[in-house]
Amino acid sequence: MFFYYLDLAWRSIKKTPFLSLLMVLAISIGIGITITTLNVYKMASINPAGERSSQLFAVQLMSQDNNFWETINEQITYQDAYNLSKSKVPVRQAAMFRTGLAVQTEDVNVSPILESVRVTEGDFFALFDVPFAYGGRWDKLVDEEGGYKVVINEELNQEVFGGGDSVGKTLLLNRKPYQVVGVIEKWNPSPKYYDVNNGAFNDSARVYVPFSLAPIEEYESWGNNQSWRHEDIRTYQDRLNSEMHWLQYWVELDTPAKKQEYQQWLAAYVEQQKLIGRFKRADAHGEISDVAQWLNFNNVVPEDNKVLVGLSVLFLVVCLVNMLGLLLAKFLKRAPEVGVRRAIGASRLQIFSQHIVEVGLIGFCGGALGLLWAWAALYFLSSKFELEASLAQLDQSMWVIAPVIAVSAAIIAGIYPAWRICSTNPSVYLKSQ
Amino acid sequence: MLSMKNISKVFKTDLVETHALRDFNLEVNEGEFVAVTGPSGSGKTTFLNIAGLLEGFTHGDYFLDGVNISNLSDNKSAVIRNEKIGFIFQGFNLISDLNLAENVEVPLRYRGFSAKERKVRVERALEQVGLAARMKHLPTQLSGGQQQRVAIARALAGEPRFLLADEPTGNLDSLMARQVMELLEDINKAGTTIIMVTHDAELARRAQRNIQIVDGQVCDFTMYQSGQTDNKTQSIADAVSVA
Amino acid sequence: MLQIKPILSMLTRSKSGPLLLLVQIILSVAIVANASFIIKERVGLISRDSGIAESEVFDLTIYNFDDAIDPNKQNLIDVEIIRNLDGVKAATSSSMTPLSGGGWSSNFTYGSSEEDRKEAPNAALYYGDEQMIPTLGVKLIEGRNFHPDEVSSGGPELASLAIVSADFAKDTFADETAVGQIMYRGNIGEQPIKIIGVVERLQSAWVNNSNINRSVILNTELGRSFTRYLVRADESAIADLKEAIPAALHEEHPNRVVRGFTTIKEHRNSSYRDHELMATVLSMMVVLLLLITSLGLAGMVMFNIERRTKQIGTRRALGAKKRDIVSFFLVENYLICLTGGGLGALIAVQLGQQLMTLYSLPKLELIYPIVTVAGLLVLTTIAVILPAQKAAKISPATATRSV
Repeated sequence: MFFYYLDLAWRSIKKTPFLSLLMVLAISIGIGITITTLNVYKMASINPAGERSSQLFAVQLMSQDNNFWETINEQITYQDAYNLSKSKVPVRQAAMFRTGLAVQTEDVNVSPILESVRVTEGDFFALFDVPFAYGGRWDKLVDEEGGYKVVINEELNQEVFGGGDSVGKTLLLNRKPYQVVGVIEKWNPSPKYYDVNNGAFNDSARVYVPFSLAPIEEYESWGNNQSWRHEDIRTYQDRLNSEMHWLQYWVELDTPAKKQEYQQWLAAYVEQQKLIGRFKRADAHGEISDVAQWLNFNNVVPEDNKVLVGLSVLFLVVCLVNMLGLLLAKFLKRAPEVGVRRAIGASRLQIFSQHIVEVGLIGFCGGALGLLWAWAALYFLSSKFELEASLAQLDQSMWVIAPVIAVSAAIIAGIYPAWRICSTNPSVYLKSQ
Repeated sequence: MLSMKNISKVFKTDLVETHALRDFNLEVNEGEFVAVTGPSGSGKTTFLNIAGLLEGFTHGDYFLDGVNISNLSDNKSAVIRNEKIGFIFQGFNLISDLNLAENVEVPLRYRGFSAKERKVRVERALEQVGLAARMKHLPTQLSGGQQQRVAIARALAGEPRFLLADEPTGNLDSLMARQVMELLEDINKAGTTIIMVTHDAELARRAQRNIQIVDGQVCDFTMYQSGQTDNKTQSIADAVSVA
Repeated sequence: MLQIKPILSMLTRSKSGPLLLLVQIILSVAIVANASFIIKERVGLISRDSGIAESEVFDLTIYNFDDAIDPNKQNLIDVEIIRNLDGVKAATSSSMTPLSGGGWSSNFTYGSSEEDRKEAPNAALYYGDEQMIPTLGVKLIEGRNFHPDEVSSGGPELASLAIVSADFAKDTFADETAVGQIMYRGNIGEQPIKIIGVVERLQSAWVNNSNINRSVILNTELGRSFTRYLVRADESAIADLKEAIPAALHEEHPNRVVRGFTTIKEHRNSSYRDHELMATVLSMMVVLLLLITSLGLAGMVMFNIERRTKQIGTRRALGAKKRDIVSFFLVENYLICLTGGGLGALIAVQLGQQLMTLYSLPKLELIYPIVTVAGLLVLTTIAVILPAQKAAKISPATATRSV
């Protein structure tokens, strides 16, 4: 019966091409707008940590004195990072920040490139599931004692070494030789949740160096440096001793028990810092947020996106109301035909189904066209506004979401007209006038 | 096979109550050809709609093939309409977007026949009305008489127990009307019960039995003709002949 | 003559059709009013004057990664190299690029003693030399610029003089003159900084921050290995300078990376990108919504005409002029539009309230729903008149035809 209804629907659409086009257009524009905004929203709100989302936690400390801001700091101080690293509770943990270094090889003819570099600990790679093509992380010993080791990504490996297994080769960073210990595969979580300070949708760094080298090499911080009080920071040592917040700190806690244990440990740490007079405020405390909470805390999805999604859903509703009106007019005009069908044995349900199939078909066409609009809109917007590629591409799920929304929205709009037409008394239309 | 007992139908609006049928009684036997006449507004159409299960009624009982079908659900009455009843209308009521074969096929679709079964029945029905050759034509390409024959084919395709015809020749010229009437008679001879509503006294006379509806009540002409007169029917008969 | 009563009674009898139109118009007004308000607000943000000669100023960064280089000395040499190039009007090292989204900001304190301590509102910090003002092209309206010998080279702790934006002066000292005031970094008494001049307008790096118009220029050239420079040149010369500056710098010392060459105008475009995106998407939405509403209305009117063909014919037969038929449909439309518009305006205000509390958007001004309704009236008039004129052509003879 479904195919019979489909056939009837198609005839009906062909019979009133202008009106059908109007309805398809209305719903397609509604879907187009909704999918466009939904896509940007979805791509911005993806949780790239996947299954590990609930095991990875960003550590934050409310450590500023009274009379400064009343919100918890996004980052932590070097002193706290040093102290936190003494905890034995987390499975893995890493402090990190972003810097920039001039990259050269021993080939003097190659001009130096300024690279954004992540300064972090060896656990970073396992913590965030970074895939290695060759080699691996640097030794634990390097994290403790320092050592000129470097991990690069495949793209940079291609550029400076021409690709291949470059483990053991030497890379010059600010003219200092570092030994390559690992080459990672393409890895670009978006949003870049482990550090949302420097553009949450920017690419990940191509170079990784040990955090233990920071005091020695005095890497500059290329991120947010937030001081709540005036400190006379002249040397790198001043910075390390300061109350400036400039490091990200992540821990892995694989079970709820571990999580609880770490929260207790953190609370004890804060108490101890209060005791020695470093944390002065009464409500000084530590917090841990898993990836989802962290993205939420950092407003990675701009409010504008939410407003747009909301308005576009309203827009879709307008399109549907529009469609509802047109459908009602169209269906009621067909009442005599329906009268005949009812007289020769069609039940209400069959008439209802026939019309719902027709509406669904219109919705489906609208959804397909809407997907095309969304694709075009994203293409236009991304070329005009240089949107990050990760935000501008049409997510695969939209291929399912768009028709599903379109068809179900159309059916919702069609229920009333279909009900009206199937519930009218057929005999009224059988007498010819 | 059709039996209506004390059926009444009341239309209510805010201001008035209209009794379309009052204590309506009728028995129609298997194989009869019954013509129903009556002045405008007498309740003919209401009777037809109730007989065809297109409308419900207020009081009374309606038996079809011995089964009480008063107050059936929409679904069940649709099934009965589909399987037992064939409709023929004054305005033909063919679906203009569908060609002849597709029009005839409509009731078979709702009955859930297979494509093969449908094809056989559609061909047989169109054959019966002499239009098998024009199966792919659209209704608008046919004359009125041909359209009505298609409508009859559609009514026949499901092999109904009885046909309900509402002024089947009302929109036709006399030649075509005669053809259609002959077709109906043939169908009746083949065993299908026919109830036909008409204005046309001449046509009505061709039926085995005539029923007159006046003010929502039945008055059986066969009885009148066989001499069982009373004052009431006499006066009605006069009124009709004057009209 | 306007036949409002018969139209009204007809509207109330055929409930669903007009009701749907009403709902559509209510929603359209609510959406369009809010969307156009947000658009206007964003366009307002984008068109704010930065006070800077945006298309003539570009930034670049020099990274001297060779340990052998003394950044303090090298930066003085570098800025001279840049200044001496053809086409360069002025240049300075700078702690930040205006409108770029990244830089320095701080809170100063002022007052005679710790008890009297007052906090100046958060302000953007431009560390640079005496060419900062000519480079940016900002207008000095009070006091004076730094003298070359007043500019120090080293850490931020050396700063002692400041030129502030008029907004900073007003927000901090209200009606008092800013010139001559002393501010401190940290507690009262720590690192006193004297204000010597006021510029009319200078925006900071953060276009979405409330401190955008509060800027402070400090008399220190930050001696760092990674240094940012602002350069002002004729627009036509910028392309050549992109080549000439790295060449000249590399000639002086090869071990460094020179990057950037983004004009402030380009920075402005990328900083306001999200706002522009929002305004663009919303504009698309408004245009399409109005289009759909009008098309839908036109479609409905067409259907109504078809349905009422006989009625219209009868009216014509009874002596209605063509004009009367058109005005019949128009009056019907206006009744729906005005009712829908009124309710829509109410909902628009409600929606605006919600957006304001949920998403820190400013309060909807009432003029927006009003203008929207007016616009809708004009648009729907067109959408109705076209099919209605067709209806007026219906022959009075239609009334007498039965089939």
